[in-house]
Amino acid sequence: MEKNSLLKWVVAFTMTCSCFMSLAQSPGNYLLVGQVTDEAGEPLPGANVYMRGDIGNGTSTDANGYYSLELPGGKDIIVEASFLGMKTTSIEYIGQAEQDFVLRPDDNMMMEAVVTGRQNINDVDIRAKAGVINVVDVKRMQDKPMIDMSLSLQGAAPGLVVTNRGDLGTKPEIRIRGNTSFREGDTANEPLYVLDGQVISSDAFMTLNPMDIADIKILKDAVACALYGTKAANGVIEITSVRGTNGETLVTYNFNGGVTMRGRRVVPMMDSAEKLELERLLKNHEAPGYLYSEDYYRRYYPNDPNLDQMIAEGQAVLDKLRQTNTDWFKTLLRNDFYQRHNLSVRGGNSKTSYYASANYSYQGGQIPGNDVSRFTGRISLDQAVGKRGYVSLSVNGGYSKADSPNGSSYSPSSLVYELNPYESPESGELWSYPNRTYDDLVYQYDRTSTEKRFGTTASINLEPLDGLQVDAVAGIDLVLSESLELIPSTAYEEINSGAAENERGRLTKAKNTNTNITTNVRVTYNKIIGKHDFTVGANTDYYWDDIDNMSLTGYGVGTQKSAAAINQSLEGSRKVSTSNLHEKTAQVGIGVLGGYTFDETYDVFGTYKADASSILPKDKRWNAAWAVGAGWNVKSYFKDWNPVSALRFKASYGRTANLAGVSPALAMATFSYLDDSYGDTRLLELMSLYNDSLKPEQTVSTEAGVSFGLFNVVSFDVGWYNRVTEDALLDVPIPSSNGFTTLKRNIGVLSNSGIEASVSARILDMNDLRLNLRFSIAYNENKVIDLYDGDRLYTSEDAIIPDFEVGKAYDMLYGPISLGLDPMTGLPVFQGADGREIQADETLTRDDMVALGHSVPPYSGTINLSFTWKNLEFDADFYYVFGGVKQYAYSYVRYYDDANKNAVKGQVDNMWFKPGDQNKMYHTPFYSSSVIENLTAWPNSKSIGSSDYLRLSMLSLRYRLSEKQLEWTKGVVKYANVALQASNLFTVTRYRESDPESGSLVGQQQPIVTLSLSLSF
Amino acid sequence: MAAGCLDIKLEDQYSDPDAISTVQRARELLSSAYNAIPRIQVSLSVLSDDFIPTNLSGSYAELLNLYNWQERAIDDFSATVWMDYYMAVATLNALVPRLEYVAVESDEDAAAVEQIRSEASALKALCYFDLLRLYGPVWTDENMDKDGIILKDRLELQFLPRSSLRDCIDEIVRLLEDAASRENNAAEVYYLGKDAVSAIRAEVELWRGNYTDAISYGLPLLADAGSRWTQTDYDNLWSDSDSRERLFAPYIFDSFYTDLCYDRESGDYYILNDDIVFDEGDMREAWTVYPFTMSADTDNSRETRNLGKYNRMYYETVDVRYINTLRYSGVCFTVAEAYARNNQAKEAVDLMNTYLNARGAAAWDAADPGLAGDGLVRAILEEKRKEFVGEGTRWYDLKRLGDDLDRYSNFGTSVTSVIRGGDYRWLFPIPRAEYRYNEAVTQNPDWPVIAVD
Repeated sequence: MEKNSLLKWVVAFTMTCSCFMSLAQSPGNYLLVGQVTDEAGEPLPGANVYMRGDIGNGTSTDANGYYSLELPGGKDIIVEASFLGMKTTSIEYIGQAEQDFVLRPDDNMMMEAVVTGRQNINDVDIRAKAGVINVVDVKRMQDKPMIDMSLSLQGAAPGLVVTNRGDLGTKPEIRIRGNTSFREGDTANEPLYVLDGQVISSDAFMTLNPMDIADIKILKDAVACALYGTKAANGVIEITSVRGTNGETLVTYNFNGGVTMRGRRVVPMMDSAEKLELERLLKNHEAPGYLYSEDYYRRYYPNDPNLDQMIAEGQAVLDKLRQTNTDWFKTLLRNDFYQRHNLSVRGGNSKTSYYASANYSYQGGQIPGNDVSRFTGRISLDQAVGKRGYVSLSVNGGYSKADSPNGSSYSPSSLVYELNPYESPESGELWSYPNRTYDDLVYQYDRTSTEKRFGTTASINLEPLDGLQVDAVAGIDLVLSESLELIPSTAYEEINSGAAENERGRLTKAKNTNTNITTNVRVTYNKIIGKHDFTVGANTDYYWDDIDNMSLTGYGVGTQKSAAAINQSLEGSRKVSTSNLHEKTAQVGIGVLGGYTFDETYDVFGTYKADASSILPKDKRWNAAWAVGAGWNVKSYFKDWNPVSALRFKASYGRTANLAGVSPALAMATFSYLDDSYGDTRLLELMSLYNDSLKPEQTVSTEAGVSFGLFNVVSFDVGWYNRVTEDALLDVPIPSSNGFTTLKRNIGVLSNSGIEASVSARILDMNDLRLNLRFSIAYNENKVIDLYDGDRLYTSEDAIIPDFEVGKAYDMLYGPISLGLDPMTGLPVFQGADGREIQADETLTRDDMVALGHSVPPYSGTINLSFTWKNLEFDADFYYVFGGVKQYAYSYVRYYDDANKNAVKGQVDNMWFKPGDQNKMYHTPFYSSSVIENLTAWPNSKSIGSSDYLRLSMLSLRYRLSEKQLEWTKGVVKYANVALQASNLFTVTRYRESDPESGSLVGQQQPIVTLSLSLSF
Repeated sequence: MAAGCLDIKLEDQYSDPDAISTVQRARELLSSAYNAIPRIQVSLSVLSDDFIPTNLSGSYAELLNLYNWQERAIDDFSATVWMDYYMAVATLNALVPRLEYVAVESDEDAAAVEQIRSEASALKALCYFDLLRLYGPVWTDENMDKDGIILKDRLELQFLPRSSLRDCIDEIVRLLEDAASRENNAAEVYYLGKDAVSAIRAEVELWRGNYTDAISYGLPLLADAGSRWTQTDYDNLWSDSDSRERLFAPYIFDSFYTDLCYDRESGDYYILNDDIVFDEGDMREAWTVYPFTMSADTDNSRETRNLGKYNRMYYETVDVRYINTLRYSGVCFTVAEAYARNNQAKEAVDLMNTYLNARGAAAWDAADPGLAGDGLVRAILEEKRKEFVGEGTRWYDLKRLGDDLDRYSNFGTSVTSVIRGGDYRWLFPIPRAEYRYNEAVTQNPDWPVIAVD
């Protein structure tokens, strides 16, 4: 056992040092021969067979999968066989003459076992033993036909929550284990993105080509993240790109094309007959259903001699309207298409390897004018330097463009729920929009945003002495985001703005440049003495972040989408305005790490990193991040006992300072110019009230987990975490006599804790037939632990419900309990704190409010299914969230004032109209302003709904053509497969209004069905 | 060592310690304090008896609620007024301690810094005085220990109580004395110069009943008044040209006084009160009364006396660049009222006659028994109302006089309600944004407080 474990150490060690470690021996006289096949027994031509650590003197198999390899004599020789898309298999050479290899497909199909240089140099092996790192199944992600890289990560790892927020092209919300801060928004809570050792912005990440990605790791706990120091308080997403191989050049073309669909009808709307009846009941003469009704004529013309004739004429008008039944969902929304072309070339030899790719993708959104297209390119090169070093270079670039007709004040998507069924695009002036025709409603707004990305990374990996590794990486990543927004002079808003004709048409052009520079040098030394394995390391890194935003808004452009068309002679409110913000921040860090493993069984790991940031004044610049972790591999005690195939415990604790979302102006007096003037003097303004006692937030994470395997069939992973943010920052309201209304202060302590679990099972595992199932669930709970100034915090001066309260979750919705509608008044009756009934026109107090539910669903997870039969693969992914509630806005329920807009189906039956109406859902349309506060200011127990949903997020059916089927190509096509792939095919939810995920009408992840073809030459 | 590369200079922002290192930047920061002075002329005029509503008033509910002195409307208005004045105060508190670090390389620089110090003190005094008159009670012996306003000396988060009326006025006087003690030759009318400081002082002294002081600070400013009160200087008040009548007129870059007009065809939400009438030949009439036909195209057209001044500039699309805040004629009224209250009726009438003569209005007869004692004071304030109607000064005088205030129906046909002299609403409410986050502050009597916890 002892010898065996030592051997494993050597294996682990050699893997750590990657494959270029030289054993400095020349090939000897021993010969090993054999065949390499796949599981089906098909020979694998072109597979690499080599002695570990000496790939340069390896060989490759012939057309029938046979090889012969010369080997030196000696101990501890490992022979490996590798093949593209297959798991590398190794055996120990103990003098045998013949050795066959059976290779199994790698889960990550395109991943190559032959790793050359490493650019993610913080990916130190020892880190993984104690830290919590989830590896994303990149293949599944690539199988999802969707253009948005970040959205395709939804469900990729438990605890990584990706939430769509709007129409196609909108950046989704990405959080690892919830918000670390009281502050909402991305700046304070989004994870750090690292591509090949280079920090990139979240915008850059969104536009990456998924096909270029070999590996994504989600770093969650303190031990995993600590190497990145204070930048990593919200977790890290570490991306490794695809690189060249040691072997034949392989050209792969991948095509994916299909249809994007309209998606779910979020709210069923009325047909013409019901709508006209509703209008009659609402008695607003701006709607035809009342204006032409008998009720109307009898009320306003009771004594008119022509009354009967008027009624008959009105009836004729209504009959005509009833005959039209426009389905605005189908009229305004569309099916469009999706396509993706990807061409890559990879190859090389033992000294040099390369990878190059080009990608074009397009996805059309639900509404005409909404689409995203993208072009990316990538080249990487790895070169061995001598026998103990590697140099890697990579360059990548991309261009992406998103168009949207949905503006902040105007969204054509919402017209689906406003236009009446008795109206049509040809109906002239609309009842739903008086004085406007259909043409006055579309083409009102247009936004194009483009992102140009460029990144380059260079790295060097050296092993000057056995066990000593010196790695360095440096790179730059640059994203230029531009947006052009036009409200044309022909838009209704402009025509009716009162502005003269030459002043109409508003254009906003914005350019934001975000530059990230990273350098990181790391030295790691590993030494094994008997059962003891020591690792020590140190690093120094430097990060530079430069954000340069500028924008200009001008008028008078007419319909021209160009800044050159702005009328610069305009004064007053239509004068050209510009804004600019240029912020540069830098961080320097020094870190050390140490790890020790005893007998493959006990691991301890510790890391300390000190970072200095330019954001804070000199005396507070240095902040620390440290973590300790331990692992215990129980399985090593009963290696030969099969029922338990794995059992491992882990625990960690760490502390990280967090400066996310803090800018220099918050900590010291900072002044900037306004674009106004006072006489001939510019205006220099104090940017914000600064807080000279501002401290970084401190994130303290505790983590414990266990992995457990049974019979190599079922494996469980369960982890518990508790992440406490101390000195949490928030813009808190302050007395306005201070000259400002808010101040960023360290106000309290919050915690995020939860459990993440996953089970995977190999239910069937036969030669031709395999079935794997995976189920994961994550639970997150947030709580205010302490507030330094009292127990409650109200962020609005009008609030009666605190936004934060000690001991309570901070994503809770509060409101009164509704006892339903009073059958006599048609207004809701609420249950007061003292049990009495509160009428709608009484003032509710804090005590009458109860917690209605979490606005952020605490549970999320996935179900993954993989089924393989011979050459056929079937994969399906479900994503679900539950436990949250959302308020119904009831914006499609119409009252007197908006009776002219279409309404939700069934409103006529479900609304209270007259005393005595029982069990109605919607309150009376006739109410006075004194009750509005209670009806609209708070949700109540009856105006919320569960936002749970289950989505079929990915479906893929793939057929791999066998070599025989490809014989006719005479070896031109090496591999081929065809697949039917779909994303977001359906969503099941009980939520009755809009999209349960984004909570908006426009923001629905649309279903896409595609056909895919992949050919390798 | 490594941290050296972290001292990053930002090209579009200036951070301490050398944020305000040049005279120019100090001036630019001071300018943003001037720019923060709230522009409340329309709202304060609507609250006073300058205007009466029209048939359009209902379309601007917020302003109509203010006209009717509705609690919520005054509360909302109060919130922005309080915030804006304290924003100016905060900017001055940011500026003054940083003046020490301004590089002074010549006598010229030294003089410029001294000038900025003088203006900063004067501007702060002006802000405090406006706040005190809005939020505090009027000056009487029994009110002196009542709550005035919050006096704020430092740019940092503080939870301060309101100081007493006496302490507030002491601080205002101290600031004005500091301003006056420094060399101040303000080059532009939008900066507070020496004369403006004296004018504010005169008004403060009148406000607290030191009539002789009010006279001694005000009178010297009127030495060459006759030459200032010309037709040209009066006309130029409502233009972007220079007028020697201006003592202090903040510069404005955006639009101003647009709230009175519904649209240029239909007319205004409020028009001149009918009891503001001018003598034949009074040069003020042409610029004060803007004859208008409201809703000319409809059956309901009506001849009205709209406000001229900035409102007329809006109709004639002339940009407003100067907000006439302190005028020499205002000093004249201060001094005249001080004389009248100090039982120097003759001096008061003489001064008024100089002014009335210059304006082309009928002179007063010193022997008129109505022009004695309280009658004289009221006559002076009535003339003042005519001079300053729509400019937002009347409300302060009404508060001082303590009279009842009538609210009218459209076009002044009937009185709809009366705001009594001692009504609680003459003291603006401390805004929610203050009292909800500052336990040390007290609300003015009778104003509601949102209770939580």
